[in-house]
Amino acid sequence: MQDLTSPEGQTAMIGIGEYRVGSFPMMTIGLGSCIGLTLYDDTVKVGAMVHIMLPDSAGRTDRPGKYADTAIELLLKELAKLGCKNRSLVAKMAGGASMFEYFGANLNIGERNAVNVRKYLKENNIKLAAEDVGGKVGRSVTFTPSNRGKITVRRADGTNCEL
Amino acid sequence: MKLSAVQTDAMQELGNIGAAHAATTLSQMVGSTVQMSVPGIKAIDIADLGNYMGEESAAMVVFELQGEIPHGGFVIFYITRESAIRLTNTMLGLTEMNRPMNEMDESALLEVGNIMVSAFLDATAELLGFVMLPSPPAMTIDMVHAAMSSLIAGMGVDTDEVLLFSTELTCEEHKIDSDIIMMPEPKTLAHIIELLENMMKPA
Repeated sequence: MQDLTSPEGQTAMIGIGEYRVGSFPMMTIGLGSCIGLTLYDDTVKVGAMVHIMLPDSAGRTDRPGKYADTAIELLLKELAKLGCKNRSLVAKMAGGASMFEYFGANLNIGERNAVNVRKYLKENNIKLAAEDVGGKVGRSVTFTPSNRGKITVRRADGTNCEL
Repeated sequence: MKLSAVQTDAMQELGNIGAAHAATTLSQMVGSTVQMSVPGIKAIDIADLGNYMGEESAAMVVFELQGEIPHGGFVIFYITRESAIRLTNTMLGLTEMNRPMNEMDESALLEVGNIMVSAFLDATAELLGFVMLPSPPAMTIDMVHAAMSSLIAGMGVDTDEVLLFSTELTCEEHKIDSDIIMMPEPKTLAHIIELLENMMKPA
């Protein structure tokens, strides 16, 4: 998954638990409690995006992109292969909403996802430059490494923001 | 879990019975005929969920299945935004289509979802002799992918594949298009299949 060109030059769509590394535009659609996390290195001009679903892998290794802990480890490893240093990487994230407050089983998974992403970034000395997390609203995120790692968030309520 | 042809047939029949009862209640509420599709079964890898649903906005009334199995999965009344407004317009005697959804719409949809899903679960319980009690409903009007992925993330087990059993309910007269979707957790599905297979055994 570390090819540096996107298919036919188009935006790469990143499904749940998937990730991409490169300089082409990437997108995650319809984030609820999931988190779209991006890392960007302005010296190497390369970035990565992952679609995290759950806060903790609890030892599972078959889908590293799905969990906050293994996803960050994976992205750092892939980016290091391309010459990125942790100190020059900048992280941004969006998502982590709580769309159904009522249900007991999903006690704030969105919030726990965001907490763990912050924690594992900090442990690896990665700067979290910006975030748009929480609330009750779904979000779609576009990541443009070629535009200095800009991310654009489109919220279901019709508002947008750039990070 | 992979379903055999016989299991698929049995689940379709179960969905058929549940959806028929839900359709009857919808028909009574809108005072018009409601058509029902053949129940569809989709096994979806979570990474591909975006191929089935996207960032379009829809109203979803969601019930968690409780009862004999604590986190049994979900039953969802799904209705597109336009259909939702047509439905509440029909019920409330309104005609304006180009209006934002308000609290009246939301409480009407919640009630419709409640009645339909109760009918669906009553019918399936009667057939199976297995009670799946619905939680109180929760509703969202948001991106479909965002809502469904949040539900999957909230399941009792960490799963990479979900099975969706859905039946389309349409009302031509009022141009209402909706779906009733069951997304059971693996344990619930295994239990339902077991009950269905026992029923099919010769006495």
